[in-house]
Amino acid sequence: MMLFDIFDPKAAPRPVGIDLGTTNSLIAWVNDGHPETVTDCDNEALVPSAVSYDERGNVIVGRAALRRAPLYPRETIVSVKRFMGRGASDPETRRLGPWEFVEPKTDDEAKVVRFRVHERIVTPVEVSAEILRALKRNAEDRLQRVGGVVITVPAYFDDAQRQATRDAGRLAGLEVLRLINEPTAAALAYGLDKKQDGLFAVYDLGGGTFDVTLLVLDQGVFQVRATGGDSALGGDDMDRALAARLLEAMGVGDTGWSPEVVRLALDAARSVKHGLTDREAVEIELPKVAGGEVVVTVTRDELDALVRPIVERTGVVCRRALKDAGVTAAQLDGVILVGGSTRVPFVRRYVAELFGREPLADIDPDQVVALGAAVQADLLAGEGAKQDVLLLDVLPLSLGIETMGGVVEKVLARNTTIPAGARQVFTTYADQQTGFELHVVQGERELAADCRSLARFTLKGIPPMPAGLARLEVTFRVDADGLLQVSAKETTTGVEQAVVVKPSYGLDDAQVEQMLLDALDHGEEDLSARRLVESKVEAERVVRATAQALAVDADLLEGDERAAIDAALAAVRAAVDGSNASRVRSAMEALDHATHPWAGRRMNRAVSRAIEGRRLGEVEGAVASAQGVEAHLEAHGHHGDPQ
Amino acid sequence: MNDPFEILGIPPSFDVDLPSVERRVRAISSAVHPDRHVGGTPTDRRAALGKAVEVNDAWRVVRDPITRAEALIARASAAPRPAGDAKPDAAFLMETMERREALSEARARRDAPAVARLAAEVAALDAAVSARFAAASREGEARVHDMIGAVAEMRYYRRFLDEVGAIEDDLASTANLP
Repeated sequence: MMLFDIFDPKAAPRPVGIDLGTTNSLIAWVNDGHPETVTDCDNEALVPSAVSYDERGNVIVGRAALRRAPLYPRETIVSVKRFMGRGASDPETRRLGPWEFVEPKTDDEAKVVRFRVHERIVTPVEVSAEILRALKRNAEDRLQRVGGVVITVPAYFDDAQRQATRDAGRLAGLEVLRLINEPTAAALAYGLDKKQDGLFAVYDLGGGTFDVTLLVLDQGVFQVRATGGDSALGGDDMDRALAARLLEAMGVGDTGWSPEVVRLALDAARSVKHGLTDREAVEIELPKVAGGEVVVTVTRDELDALVRPIVERTGVVCRRALKDAGVTAAQLDGVILVGGSTRVPFVRRYVAELFGREPLADIDPDQVVALGAAVQADLLAGEGAKQDVLLLDVLPLSLGIETMGGVVEKVLARNTTIPAGARQVFTTYADQQTGFELHVVQGERELAADCRSLARFTLKGIPPMPAGLARLEVTFRVDADGLLQVSAKETTTGVEQAVVVKPSYGLDDAQVEQMLLDALDHGEEDLSARRLVESKVEAERVVRATAQALAVDADLLEGDERAAIDAALAAVRAAVDGSNASRVRSAMEALDHATHPWAGRRMNRAVSRAIEGRRLGEVEGAVASAQGVEAHLEAHGHHGDPQ
Repeated sequence: MNDPFEILGIPPSFDVDLPSVERRVRAISSAVHPDRHVGGTPTDRRAALGKAVEVNDAWRVVRDPITRAEALIARASAAPRPAGDAKPDAAFLMETMERREALSEARARRDAPAVARLAAEVAALDAAVSARFAAASREGEARVHDMIGAVAEMRYYRRFLDEVGAIEDDLASTANLP
């Protein structure tokens, strides 16, 4: 069938799901109701998450990049995901690895890790965008056009890491519909496959991150109860532990260290680890620093001993998640394994023991996340979302504000279902104080200094008054991507001062925009032409959606709302016929304004209908179970069996 | 409309059947979650997001006994009351202090069974005061003072049990070290 696909420039864009992994990345789509991965020209689904820069400025991604790693360790970046959203002074940047980092000169620069590659300086967001571009190209070979994208992130990623991932998607020229959590994506793939309701645990041990998620599956609704993890724990740690032992055998101590040798040891460690998945012992020949070779034998028992402390750290996290969800391991209906590192036999044994049951791994643990992401992309794409499946996810880490003495006041607790909002009132602590500094942090520790700093901003222009009189209302809102927005206002004086802060991590919107411009061949004109097309497409979509809503809920319109909406619609249509993007935008804003109160009433109607539908469903359920009893009596009633 | 019971369309009561409310929340979420409105106008999407946030917040309040109790107090009182206007009596505070001391001693001894005993004791007290709150809340405004007193005790017990949780985590994770 593939042979007869004819290139059609007007082919419908296909929604896709991307698993942007530490070690490997994948792209998948839904083909006729079934998710499947896109394979490259070598028929491989896994694209190694490796990016290599050559001296002529070419960028090489995937297996070819990985092959360059031993020769060009500094110029080849692997496991870049570990650096996403992290600062230059983060402990992660100082772990065993061959790269050269740029020393930050300013506080702003210190917020982002920078690799020095030849004369270039690249950030993890740019490196990740290269991987995404390569995946997109593979998908275009198969699907011709790529539409909206769902990218997965570890459930335990904080706001900075999520923002960085979203930026990478934008930089790669993708329309990011949603970021979803990897374990939730995996559950989606399994849930739709098995069609079984219940309580499940997803144990996801990847190359660089560990997550555990407990979720309830109830008639198509996937509700996450609790999630926990460690965004710096994974198979890479196993490789490093094993590499340290190999380096010792090679006679590398304080001397003999070089990026090439470290790379070689890490690669050798990985292949030994893979070999020990089905064998009891593996032999490997390694060069000695002093010259000559040494043959090292590593047994399964030795590997088990090396990985045990790493794997045991996951047990602590799992126990806490069970507790947060208010359940015990015995109540689970299933445990799902995700991530390549769950192939390590010791990990499987440990998980089976921890949860008291054999885990499920019948969907390829390397592919399951991308498949689930594709399903979610398919659900989110197009007009009129499908009604049968819904993901309800949670905030992985608490959000709070630093108060006097550096103590954190939690505003939203971890494992709160998203989207979520919360409001907290603060007051001034000094007389005549006219500014108020807010420091937004994420994490579970008591002191702000021990948490992740997300944003600092100052609310200015508070009218002078005695201490404790001003009322500063700080509102947190976390959207369905798990991304935070903070706004603050002073309410006593009636003068509303509002600030909206989207935490950003060294790369602000303007910088991402600039990188995007640099990436395009024709720069500015290209971008503005694209903007015009995009805004027209969006306007046409909104006009259609408004017409649909009018067909259904016109009875909820009040007063002269209908006339105002009709006028606004006509203005949008007229703007779409023109070629002025800003006119389209302002006509859209006017339409937005005209439909606002009506939209609220429509949403209330949706709620009442959902409640009514539920009541109806309950009655039907009761009837069905009553029938069940009758059927049971009929089948067993005459036997007089005391069972 | 900020009353969580009204938002969820359930009768205001301390005794709620949480599993059934959770199913109701899921049904409402299925209608208003932003994912259900991706094809809608930006206005619709914002309204959906606002509603979804409201429903999730209401559920968060109703699910937790302490915030649920506070919401019932807010409904029962004509005017909002400043926090802490009902302090538990001296005997209660004395008992609490003694129990806390016993807990920190048990922690120092790494005596897990003693920690568990104290936790069970406090959980029983918490259940009793919760029942007292439920009874008072059924009479509404007339007994709002009793409600406030009961919820203050519930907060003390909650803090105690949180601390027990942290100690148990600590004992469990350090016990695993080689």
